[in-house]
Amino acid sequence: MTDEEEMVGYKQQPGKLPFSRPGSGGKDQFSTLQDDEMIPKSQGGKLSQPWGTHRHDELVTSTSIGNRTPLIDGRYKVTGQAKYGDDIRLSNELIGKILRSPHHFARIKSIDTSAAEALDGVVAIATGVDASNAFGVLPVTKDEHALAISLVRHVGDLVAAVAAEDESTALHALQLIEVEYEVLDSIHDMKDGLEDSENPIHDRGKYHIGEANIQKRVFQEFGEVEKMTENAEASHHSNWTFRGVNHGFTEPHATVANWDPRGRLTVYTPQQVPHYLHRSLADVLEIPMHQINVYRTFVGGGFGGKSDPFPHEMCAAILARKSGRPVRITFDREEVFFVNRGRHPSHIEMNLHADSQGRLCGVETDALIDGGAFASFGHVTTYYNGVLHTAPYEIGAFHYTGARVWTNKPASGAMRGHGAVNSRCAFEVGLDDLSNKLQVDPMTFRLANLLPPLSATITGFRITSTGMRECLEKVRKASDWDERFRKLPLGHGIGVGCGFFISGSGLPIHWDPNKFPHATVHLKIDMDGGVTIHTGAADIGQGSDTVVAQSVAEVLGLPLDMIRVRSQESDTAPVDLGSYSSRVTFMNANAAISAAMKIRQELLDATAVITGADPKKLVLGDRRIYDKRDPAVGVSYLEALHKAQEERGALVASGAYRTPPMGRAHKGAAAGLAPAYSFSAYVAEVKVDVETGQTSVINVWAAHDCGKALNPLAVEGQIIGSCHMGLGQVLSEEMVYGRTGHLLNGNLLDYKIPTVHEMPKVYPIIVESNDPEGPFGAKEAGEGPLLPILPAVCNAVFDAIGVRVNELPITPDRMHRNIEKLCREQGISDPLELETPRLKLSPLQESLANRAEEHEKRDIARRNNDDIEPYHNGALFGFTATMPADEQSDDWKVSVIPSQEYIDNPRLAGSAWKHTERRHRGDDA
Amino acid sequence: MKMPPFELLMPTSLEQALELAGEFIAAGEEFDWIAGGTDLIPNYKWHLNPKANVISLAKVAEMSELSSTHIGGMVRLHDLAESELTHPLLKDAAGSIASVMIRRSGTVGGNLCLDTRCYWFNQSEDWRESIEWCHKCECGTDADCRVIPNQNTLCVATYQADLAPALLCLNATIHLASSNGKREMLLSDFFELDGMTRNVLQPGELVTHITLPTESSELTGCYHKLTLRESWDFPEAGIAAAWKLNGEEISTLKIASTGLESIPRVHDEEVAAVLPEWSGKESIEILSESLRKSIKPVNNTGLKPNYRRKMVKVLARRCLNQIMHE
Repeated sequence: MTDEEEMVGYKQQPGKLPFSRPGSGGKDQFSTLQDDEMIPKSQGGKLSQPWGTHRHDELVTSTSIGNRTPLIDGRYKVTGQAKYGDDIRLSNELIGKILRSPHHFARIKSIDTSAAEALDGVVAIATGVDASNAFGVLPVTKDEHALAISLVRHVGDLVAAVAAEDESTALHALQLIEVEYEVLDSIHDMKDGLEDSENPIHDRGKYHIGEANIQKRVFQEFGEVEKMTENAEASHHSNWTFRGVNHGFTEPHATVANWDPRGRLTVYTPQQVPHYLHRSLADVLEIPMHQINVYRTFVGGGFGGKSDPFPHEMCAAILARKSGRPVRITFDREEVFFVNRGRHPSHIEMNLHADSQGRLCGVETDALIDGGAFASFGHVTTYYNGVLHTAPYEIGAFHYTGARVWTNKPASGAMRGHGAVNSRCAFEVGLDDLSNKLQVDPMTFRLANLLPPLSATITGFRITSTGMRECLEKVRKASDWDERFRKLPLGHGIGVGCGFFISGSGLPIHWDPNKFPHATVHLKIDMDGGVTIHTGAADIGQGSDTVVAQSVAEVLGLPLDMIRVRSQESDTAPVDLGSYSSRVTFMNANAAISAAMKIRQELLDATAVITGADPKKLVLGDRRIYDKRDPAVGVSYLEALHKAQEERGALVASGAYRTPPMGRAHKGAAAGLAPAYSFSAYVAEVKVDVETGQTSVINVWAAHDCGKALNPLAVEGQIIGSCHMGLGQVLSEEMVYGRTGHLLNGNLLDYKIPTVHEMPKVYPIIVESNDPEGPFGAKEAGEGPLLPILPAVCNAVFDAIGVRVNELPITPDRMHRNIEKLCREQGISDPLELETPRLKLSPLQESLANRAEEHEKRDIARRNNDDIEPYHNGALFGFTATMPADEQSDDWKVSVIPSQEYIDNPRLAGSAWKHTERRHRGDDA
Repeated sequence: MKMPPFELLMPTSLEQALELAGEFIAAGEEFDWIAGGTDLIPNYKWHLNPKANVISLAKVAEMSELSSTHIGGMVRLHDLAESELTHPLLKDAAGSIASVMIRRSGTVGGNLCLDTRCYWFNQSEDWRESIEWCHKCECGTDADCRVIPNQNTLCVATYQADLAPALLCLNATIHLASSNGKREMLLSDFFELDGMTRNVLQPGELVTHITLPTESSELTGCYHKLTLRESWDFPEAGIAAAWKLNGEEISTLKIASTGLESIPRVHDEEVAAVLPEWSGKESIEILSESLRKSIKPVNNTGLKPNYRRKMVKVLARRCLNQIMHE
């Protein structure tokens, strides 16, 4: 009997009216059978589990997870219905415009706004005196203001803001504001930032380092530091220069602020991190947080560039308060470059040492990074430049010195692959050079030095799952590596690079992780059966709404059309830390799963009441709950739901995620800590025109271990998108500063983002290492996939023409200079006669291959073993694996304070330590 | 970027357009012509010498005529690149301009009259104010050139249009008109060495069309250019060559360059020095080296001038090598 027939003659009794026919609830009237191929073997399905079982196995209903799922907000975007920042139009709005500094560094002596105020159509004008409280994304480095208080710190720094009836009037008013400046000596070269200055760009009070422009300095020493050079069989030394790059997102910053009749403020803005904006607005405007609603609009690309609370957001709110009307501020592209927060320009010295057994016995990194005028995320970036290349390899010693300096340029900040990208590039290129010197295959060299699953790195990061080995093996095979590496003709080459990235920062910036969770998700299900998800996670195009919807759909056995996500307003969303550090899928989906599990239990209990079945034997399928062994015994989802709602109405549930206790105790130990890490390996194939120096990338084989691809379509999109973004940095993108210190290319014609023509064929390869704590085993896929493309291309360039790149981007003029130099070295005039590198394997190759094979067995044994012994970095060097090496030997250093000996002879960034903090000088009275 | 306001006029015939222009001149008012707008509109948005009046040629149908020897000023670059009547060398050059969307809008006349470009000029108003302006858009400040300071006489902004060198190699004649009458000249006489004036066009004058000598169809040619990206970018260097072979012998050889100086250049002198004793590969080397020496780019575009100069040699060699492959 079909449902239709069942309904005929259905006797409608008062109070017994069905909400819908049994079995329905979604668009499709009938529920589908579970797909055995997607149910794990541990649950009686057919999905093989080579990486072991998972704590979420029993929640799998074969509904959504693992399906190639178009993003749930995709249609809004392609039909033009998505409202981005500038699409918000409130009635009676004013247009806000910002007066910006024409000077790199100057003291504001006076601001006269009277002429501008007198202009017809000008409604409000704000200057620094209107909001003197400092803010910043990190509580430890609040150094920004809505508008300059006394100093302007870069060309484009905010001086005053005008709200007027229309844009032309606002622009006219800006010209009428008279500002008197006292111009100060500005700093543009980051190396100058290390020296004492008469007028440091910021004053950190008693924490100020010397009288210099050093915003943050880091010293870290782990392992057998003394021995690394004496044990070295081969060493790599390089000095890198990385230019600053901008995120280049499509949507310029745009924000609308409005004070409603109840006196509450709503700020509409494309934010990656609405919660930090929420806090900063409260600080700057001096109103309680509950009076503010942060409304995240659709975000037209973020990539880290929309994760700071921004001064223009404060300005809009201040102008709206002054005028009593909504104020909209939309940036020009040039203003996007002025606010920047792109990747730090960096000087990185990378020294690597390998011993006679082909082990990585020493890593010495010195990173000087150019922070521009403000701190932004820089505190973290300074750590990340070091600590994020302590894996995936086992290393004998790690020595890191890092410093971030202020300069009079737009501020650098967090950008996709935050802090890890540049040093990873230098590191992986170093590994290629080491393998060359040891005459071994760089793939084998890497495979023989990997940390196993469930291990601890040299600085104490806890690695749970790792698919590094599989990534390398897959790209090796897919790219036909063994037949092509060092065997291609001049101008044609392939190279490998790897990546390692955090899947969520282990430390919430504003609170103790032991007190509050990282992410909270609320669910509400009413009689219609649809599930409303309330989350504060910011969908910035990466698909966080989709993944949280998928997670809930999977647990409850519902089609996606029954899930709606409300993630835009802080009024309705539980606090979430936002979209940065690749944390959303891992943390938010985990929170969503834990909330959905509560609902699931209620549905199971209700089903047990209706059917009398044992709740332990009940399973959820597509909108149906039934006895596993006797599927005929069961009820529809709606029946169970309505039963569960009896006496109480809508079901609600809250779930949260917090990280487990992790990490060691040294200063800075929390930087880089994450509940899981992603791994990736790429092989790039390039062609270099040896006469013009033009490099083009033809193919990329890109393997990324994301634990479990909840949505393979989105994961592949992230891999391909990361390739594009990384290619920009390696081939053509740079923020160019001219001899006057001005940014020369603050527009998208001169800032060279690769076009479709420059895009290689990318073959995404997904590796699923089944992370024990990830939602259904998942880890991040948003940032990690960017890391390997840079070194892979650089290493491929070496394979093609023998040029060891140490400056990015490798624009044709730079490459041509390298080629000319190489020609001189080889004593030839025609670059077409260059000799390409060839590989003659040394005996070490065989022993490395053997070690890689043994390690593979070790790793498989570890990942399929629940009762595993600890593995600490150092075991490869003869220490007992089960305890940290520093507990076994006094030679194994753990130090975060440089010795006087080091300070006397420091590296570039390390020289930041020659200064003494004011509070320790004793002369600051 | 807020566009400064302007009055847009849409004449429907050449005569009407020239008349309107004449009226503005008589009244002492400034105006700009607009064809495809792909150069003018971005410059207006950046407040680069905007005028209060703009005369659009979009509805002047007679300027869109296209044949193998006649190319109207309003012929869209895309149509030029796609037409079977177009000389292959021109097709090459036209098809390489910017991107397909820009070619659909941009015109032949507009491309030839492209404003010169410079890092110190193609910037927002605030930015230029911050460097205290430059010679090309001084805003009444008598500002110096920012590329080569202490010489505020000549603007060294770079001419970066692709059609000119190809048309120069084909010996094109350019036809101009104003309310005072018509005139024509060899395209090589059209350009005038100054990044500001750029060419001989007088106020109120415009490019009506280009004509090619019928013999131009006997020429074979090629165009090579240097850009960082394959699409969008203006050429940082461009070399066009056209030649005619008489058996093994080269009877005609023309070479022209763009993207390197304030105007495109024909390199007849350098060619004449080598052509009488042409010996294939060796001559190509000598000629491309002398081209490199004759061209002096300045530091005002994306790639460094010494590199662009070196690439002149490579691009010229690549053009000339094609003669050998015929």
